Amino acid sequence: MELQLTEVTKSFRDVNAVDHVSGTLRSGVYGLLGVNGAGKTTLMRILCTLIRPAAGKITWDGQDIFAMGGEYRRLLGYLPQDFGYYPDFTVQDYLYYISSIKGLRTVTAKRRTDMLLEQVGLSQVRNKKMMKLSGGMKRRAGIAQAMLNDPRILILDEPTAGLDPKERIRFRNLLSELARDRIVLLSTHIVSDVEYIAGEIMLMKDGRIVLSGTPEELSDAMPETVWNCMVAPNRVGAFLRDYKVANVRNLKGSVQLRIVSAEAPTPDAVADIPTLEDVFLYHFGEKAGEEDVSL
Amino acid sequence: MFRYEIKKVFARTGGKVALAMLLATLLIGCRLAAGDYYVNENGDYEYGVAAVRKLRALQKEWSGILDEEKLRLAIEEITAIAATPQGQSKDVRESNIAFSWGQATYEIRLLLNNSFADDFQTNDYYRAQSLTPDDAKSFYSNRVRLLKEWLADEQKGAYYRFSDAEKAYLIRQYETLATPFYYDYTGGWLRLFDWYPWIAMITVMVLGYLVSGIFAGEYQLRADAVFFAARHGRDKAVAAKVWAGFAIVTGIYWMMVLLYSAFVLAWYGADGMACPVQATRYGWKCFYHITIGQEYALEVFGGYVGCLFISGLVMFLSARGRSAVVAVLVPFVIIFLRSFLGQADSKIVGEIMGLWPDLLLQMRGTLAYFNLYELGGKVVGAVPIMLVLYGVLTAALVPAIYRAYRR
Repeated sequence: MELQLTEVTKSFRDVNAVDHVSGTLRSGVYGLLGVNGAGKTTLMRILCTLIRPAAGKITWDGQDIFAMGGEYRRLLGYLPQDFGYYPDFTVQDYLYYISSIKGLRTVTAKRRTDMLLEQVGLSQVRNKKMMKLSGGMKRRAGIAQAMLNDPRILILDEPTAGLDPKERIRFRNLLSELARDRIVLLSTHIVSDVEYIAGEIMLMKDGRIVLSGTPEELSDAMPETVWNCMVAPNRVGAFLRDYKVANVRNLKGSVQLRIVSAEAPTPDAVADIPTLEDVFLYHFGEKAGEEDVSL
Repeated sequence: MFRYEIKKVFARTGGKVALAMLLATLLIGCRLAAGDYYVNENGDYEYGVAAVRKLRALQKEWSGILDEEKLRLAIEEITAIAATPQGQSKDVRESNIAFSWGQATYEIRLLLNNSFADDFQTNDYYRAQSLTPDDAKSFYSNRVRLLKEWLADEQKGAYYRFSDAEKAYLIRQYETLATPFYYDYTGGWLRLFDWYPWIAMITVMVLGYLVSGIFAGEYQLRADAVFFAARHGRDKAVAAKVWAGFAIVTGIYWMMVLLYSAFVLAWYGADGMACPVQATRYGWKCFYHITIGQEYALEVFGGYVGCLFISGLVMFLSARGRSAVVAVLVPFVIIFLRSFLGQADSKIVGEIMGLWPDLLLQMRGTLAYFNLYELGGKVVGAVPIMLVLYGVLTAALVPAIYRAYRR
């Protein structure tokens, strides 16, 4: 069970959405972390054979995935970022329909649907129309459809986008449960989504995988130090301008800053152990804070 | 897959509204077709099944071979009624009373008007009452004579419109038509044909709307990624969409046509099926040798081919363009374009418009038009060409839709 990417490249006009990406994915959870526009979705769509790469090759156990066609897609479960569904279908009908296009027999489809509805906590709403579900429920229905064929490769593109923190935690736990004996590739720009469940994290920037490894390896490999320091409130602006600030915490009369820097930003700054969020900040700089990265 | 594709179409609010529109169309069509009346001996109009039965009973008295003897009797009756004070009166009620006496021979009167018209293209309602019984012997020969005069007329006729081969073909068709005609009451079929094109056109427009979403819907709902990433998302699931589209067209079209036909024929009766179309006021000039029953078959099968082709084109465009916006306009464009281009003074445009697919939805008109084509030195009418042409094009659309959508 090995998904091999070799120099995979895809451009849209002058933009290299995916730029010579290589790597090998085996059983386990992989987190694809990057800011919006890093190329995560394009890479995932290529892995789902929805887009053909301009160059490079992707193989599954040595076979070209595009040549495998339906046989490859049989192994695939995909939850797109922009998850579309049929609003007038009930949850059950939706899953039965997806089962049919996935080639599941009726008996299997019913069994898998029952099991997954239970697993994702949608059994009670199985006869409700999709359009009546909450955002979190729709995402869970999305996960269920991706899991219907018990896929060897599960690709989830920004699965927690738009979910509240409670749903996000629920989703993470669900994913951990589903991740056994398969390749799970999860893209996100939210560090905490992958920090606890991904065995390996790949940082993607401008179409390239700039760094990959376990969360600990990524933290250890960070060339700069994380510092905690107290500053006067009127100096916060200057620090935000001059340093990569991971966190700003207001205390009584002063502000505690968490800064990623090679040198101590203040004489009394105390070095701390870097977290994955710090690594993310180091690599993506100010872009890392564009969306709720600290969640 | 197939079942869910159909469910997708009708689960939408738009799908339900479309079905309601079709039902309304059917009800209105039936109501309009059932609007025939009978005028009683007091000159009053009567409507409904009872009135239809009276009219039918009257006209059935004249059923049989429309030979010289029967025509002679009809002329005698028509002229006698016209000579009565009521027949001469300008008063509406008096005229209605005279009309009530002439209802039995009304359809024969219209045939006589055609036969004894001044020329091929004019028609005078009062012509029949100026005839003498002896005129009956030229009833059938007039039909051929008027055609020949029209074809030879360089000023007002069709001398320049047809080639020599086409003229010879038309004359041969007229001369070889079996006469005398078998005549019968054909009210049911005539009313059915009156409103069928209206029903067929609305049906095809609604069908266009319904099937336009089958392919474009995946993109519109952003469900395309999951669809195409599924095992059968590029083969069997696409085929299921294609078949679902044609199944919807087939099911709805035949439901509309058969319910409409059943209602109208139950209302009026199905008499006259074996009559040649020329034995009716609309078919007198028709050059095709077919019966009313065959005309019905051509109407409904031609309409079916037309619906399949137009809906297939809608599906193809929505599959290729991934949007229903342009595709849904196709039936409207097809139906209304001929109204504009049909007037163009161009032989090529005229020939194309003579085979325009909307003509399949109004076969009575198509059978009446003198649209001829020379294929390999042989003259053929538009109807068989259209049935073959659009049958083949529809068959070609099936793989084309499949290929356009499957990526």
